[in-house]
Amino acid sequence: MNAAGTLRRARAGLPGLLAPIALAAGLATLVVVAVSGHPPASQAQQVQQIAAGLHCPICKDLSVADSPAPLAQQMREQIAKQVRAGETAGQIRAGFVAAYGPSVLMSPPRQGVSAVAYYLPWLVLAVGLIAAFTALRRWLRTPQRDPPGAARPQPQLSASQRRAVARAVARLREEEPG
Amino acid sequence: MSGRLTRRRARLLAGVVAAVAAIVTLLATGLGRDPSVFASPLVGRTAPNFTLPQLDGPPVTLSKLRGQVVLINFWASWCSQCQVEQAALDQTWQQFQDSGVVVIGVDFEDDTGAARGYVRTAGVTYPVVEDTDSSAALAYGLRGVPETFVVDQSGRIVDHVIGPVGAAALASEINSVLLARAQ
Repeated sequence: MNAAGTLRRARAGLPGLLAPIALAAGLATLVVVAVSGHPPASQAQQVQQIAAGLHCPICKDLSVADSPAPLAQQMREQIAKQVRAGETAGQIRAGFVAAYGPSVLMSPPRQGVSAVAYYLPWLVLAVGLIAAFTALRRWLRTPQRDPPGAARPQPQLSASQRRAVARAVARLREEEPG
Repeated sequence: MSGRLTRRRARLLAGVVAAVAAIVTLLATGLGRDPSVFASPLVGRTAPNFTLPQLDGPPVTLSKLRGQVVLINFWASWCSQCQVEQAALDQTWQQFQDSGVVVIGVDFEDDTGAARGYVRTAGVTYPVVEDTDSSAALAYGLRGVPETFVVDQSGRIVDHVIGPVGAAALASEINSVLLARAQ
């Protein structure tokens, strides 16, 4: 076996190898992106994220992140202190919920009565889709009614039926007075 | 055929009416609630501990007061409603301090000088501590001042009052806590 033959065989096999190599590279990229995810948020960003998820207890529809109220400012400082101490966002949120109740969360929890806010729209959508599908199917199955004045096809009568009808009509005419 | 159709329509109508009634009831329950009334989730739970510097005296640690009834009153010198209730708190302190009851004033969002000046001129006799970083206020879910928490001998919060407290109501509350312990 000479060197030129080996090179030819290698060249012939190259296109077949390209697809698995590309697939492997793509998969590796996906794995790296999935594992690394977003770059770690700075402490200030963490404080901002947690504060944005908490409702300012003395404000109307303002988050702790957006409120200028002194209480919201103190809550931000408290969050910053807890983040620096290494507490997780869940632990910090749980602390505020323990003191203020679940209403301190900007988004209601997915449990208890609050879960209705998440699941009711989907339930209504599902019921609506089922109702629309049922109505559409019924509408498609119902035979079309003729518009008024349109010529309707005459029923086909057999010869004996036609004779019976003629006899009945003649009898009726005979029975008519005058 | 027609009877079956009527029954099906009646059933459908009943379902729609039931769904609408459920949604209306849900909304009416929520809308009927007074949004200014907040039930503290801490009532019935152990009072969050704190150690806070006293305006004139050694720091106060709540857990060291276990075995006594503690009235924690959040206030500020700039708060007019706090001035309204101050006499009632002083009267309660004078009346019950020998019966195992402690009144603590927690100064919230205030200037130390202004707080000290108010305590002196108004003649506040019970211990007053400073919540300089509002950590105690946030642990108690404070929304404003005045707010008062009643802590029983086991360290459990038994009542939470938003707004000025009255001497008679406080006396009644304290007596019931003391009686419950005695029984």
